[in-house]
Amino acid sequence: MKQSVSIILALVVVVLLVFVPWVASDVMMQFAIDALLLAVLAQAWNILGGFTGYVSFGNSVFYGLGTYGTAIAMTNKYMQLPFGVGIVLGIVLAVLCALVIGLPILRLRGPYFAIATLGLSAAMGAIVSNIPIAGSNIGLVLPLIRADTMFYELSLALLVACTLTVLWISKSRFGMGLVAIREDEDAAGTMGINTTAFKITALVLSALFTAVAGGIHAYWISFIDPASAFDPTLNVRMVIMAVFGGPGTVFGPLVGSFILSAVYEYLASSISTAAALLFGIVIVLAVIFMPRGLANMIGGVRGKGPRYFLQNIRENRL
Amino acid sequence: MSALADTTAKAPAGRTILQAEGITKRFAGLVSVNQVSFEMVENEILGLIGPNGAGKTTLVNMISGTLKPNEGELRFEGQPIDALAPYQRAHLGICRTFQVMKPFPGMSVLENVTVGALFGRNGGEKATGKARESAREWIEFTGLSHRIEAKADSLGGPDRKRLEFAKALAMGPKLLLLDEVMAGLNAVEVEEVIELIKKMRERGVTILVIEHVIKAIRSLSDRVLVLNHGEKIAEGDPAVVLEDPRVVEAYLGRRRQ
Amino acid sequence: MRPAEQGGSFVLLAQILVNGVLLGGLYGLMALGMALVWGVLNIVNLAHGAMIMLGGYAVYYLFTGAGIDPFLALPIAIVGMFVFGYLLQRFVLNLIVRSAMLNTLLITFGLNVVITYLAQLVFSADFRTINPSYAGSNVQVLGITVPLVNLGAFVIALVLAGAVWLLLNKLPLGRAIRATAQNLVAARLYGVDPRQLYAVTFGIGAALAGAAGGLYGTIAHLTPYIGASLTAKSFVIAIIGGLANPFGVILGGIFVGVAESLTALYAGPTYSDVISFGLLVVVLVIRPARALRAA
Repeated sequence: MKQSVSIILALVVVVLLVFVPWVASDVMMQFAIDALLLAVLAQAWNILGGFTGYVSFGNSVFYGLGTYGTAIAMTNKYMQLPFGVGIVLGIVLAVLCALVIGLPILRLRGPYFAIATLGLSAAMGAIVSNIPIAGSNIGLVLPLIRADTMFYELSLALLVACTLTVLWISKSRFGMGLVAIREDEDAAGTMGINTTAFKITALVLSALFTAVAGGIHAYWISFIDPASAFDPTLNVRMVIMAVFGGPGTVFGPLVGSFILSAVYEYLASSISTAAALLFGIVIVLAVIFMPRGLANMIGGVRGKGPRYFLQNIRENRL
Repeated sequence: MSALADTTAKAPAGRTILQAEGITKRFAGLVSVNQVSFEMVENEILGLIGPNGAGKTTLVNMISGTLKPNEGELRFEGQPIDALAPYQRAHLGICRTFQVMKPFPGMSVLENVTVGALFGRNGGEKATGKARESAREWIEFTGLSHRIEAKADSLGGPDRKRLEFAKALAMGPKLLLLDEVMAGLNAVEVEEVIELIKKMRERGVTILVIEHVIKAIRSLSDRVLVLNHGEKIAEGDPAVVLEDPRVVEAYLGRRRQ
Repeated sequence: MRPAEQGGSFVLLAQILVNGVLLGGLYGLMALGMALVWGVLNIVNLAHGAMIMLGGYAVYYLFTGAGIDPFLALPIAIVGMFVFGYLLQRFVLNLIVRSAMLNTLLITFGLNVVITYLAQLVFSADFRTINPSYAGSNVQVLGITVPLVNLGAFVIALVLAGAVWLLLNKLPLGRAIRATAQNLVAARLYGVDPRQLYAVTFGIGAALAGAAGGLYGTIAHLTPYIGASLTAKSFVIAIIGGLANPFGVILGGIFVGVAESLTALYAGPTYSDVISFGLLVVVLVIRPARALRAA
């Protein structure tokens, strides 16, 4: 079956990826860790945005909370906890936040939800920069450690865990419920789906993986401040990667994020503005020409070549 | 409430499955459903008719839980259900179709029906494999097997209605609310749907049918309930109710012109 | 700076209110274009703030480069932004109008990124302000200082809201636009090509953003990055004010402006961004009906 082929392929890729640190240069490792963590963000976003249809422009909040949870646990003079415990604190903060904001915010639909998350991400940075325990607007310095191999393997493991979760979602009753909510929430409710519980679970899962990525990143770069932890462009990147690759698919967001990370890295080494600009252009073109993402374009049954793009336009233009 | 004289006073025989008492719904001051009371007994087919805007769909929405009544009480198998969310009512076995068909557009027919099997009565079948099997059976039952892999939004009118039926049936309903499932069908297709509804009843399902096609109501319903301007104006045997002068005036007369 | 002492506290409060109202009028103008496009085309334009930013730079360069007074440069910016918006809708957004709301959100989000970083390339990331000779002038009324530039911006916001109201309610074009909001077929009944009508409507929205941006530049800093927060602010105001009536939107803006000024006074200026979000949540919780209905 096609599915089993791609799973075997994925396994081979993962095994190969495990050995990358033994052959890669320092620069390559920097890029690889960044790319893996971004892929986690895109994949975690995919749970909520791709499967459930709730487009979040505020997942950076969970990333920031993961970052700060880890950093505070490790640096606060009353705690000085190990990294692992720090990650757990980051997860707790993010999940609590998801639960607290989830109830009011997930009642909103479409643009209301999107903008509420956008506003939340803007507000969080401002709030954190007023909290002394979080180093106010100066930030926190974590213990310095040079262990790129460890950070790489951790990031890879996280990405695998996140992707396996998404794979499970795509096959499970839970995932079926999420997709039903995406397709028609009212109908999903009358068909017996506890939409509130499903949406909150999706949000919590998304927040959880995002927070762990934030925690790993914090320890890796060993310095955080509100501007970088709650960086709104992070939202741009994760959304674009997932959408470009194929929202609501298992491997689309991975492929999308690896391709875009590589292109971004290549451009950023010359002009950084051009890289960001390219992201914007990619998303505009992607929405027009391949609104279902790369995954659909490659695996789809519709027309091939240019006809595929024309078909998409014909469907959606005025 | 007006001094309402039931066209037939005889209480329906059998065990009561649904009780509505003094149900009222107002939208921005306008009364859409006004003090409506009725009962349904197990395994009957009740026809709900009335002119456009009479409040039929609103009433169904309140039973399925997408709307909350301002006044009155609903009981299902003796238990009050007013505080229950739509999904909880679905778990009890109250299932509905929509006047505007609501398939999940991006899902295949099989997936659509599987959702019904996965989440219906008692929370549905937990194992996806089994749910898919029972979905296949219901697709067969409704005669949609030839389109089982098709995307729901590619179906034509009659097949969409079949899909709605299959979804609702896969949920294992005790009470099925059918909102204008025959609208837009030709005479042959209406016959098919009537047969389908009768087959469902044979399986023990209690059915509420909202319909404009009077012929269908006549041949299907054990009893008829007529709404006009949100009020119940008649209830009882179809042969009697459909000849009631008030019903004819409010509804049939206007439609014949 | 802390609030003045006892005797001055009433005057201070009045001053804060006046500041808030004047700023709020401008906020209302910012939201007006977004509300129009949202209400008529059902597009929540996440690039709206970036278009405000473009209008600001247009006036800035007309003023510093060509020496045109900012208030006189405003009409030029308005026309320029109209053309920009028209072309954008005609040749880009019209291609996806019929697809899911998600896609219009994503594409305008992408446009926001494109405009922002193009602006950074062209205008640089430096702070800019539009500083005409009369920038610091003000009049004193009952001990309250009224900055002339803010007053001018407020008046222009009201005038433009009035113009939009006239357009929508009294002119044939406006009736066609409102009919389009109901359904597309209706637009054809007015003998208008809906593709044109969509482009014109979006153009008007962009023109209003341009006007708001030019005025914004006279009272606040311009950078290429102000777009996102202005989009969020406009959105909040559009929800509070409603999509139907231009004056409702202006009132919504005044509400947010006053709330922001009061927050800055009592809680500190860093919280004034938080208040927009707080208001958004409060409004959505109090008036959820419309938010819930929108699919």
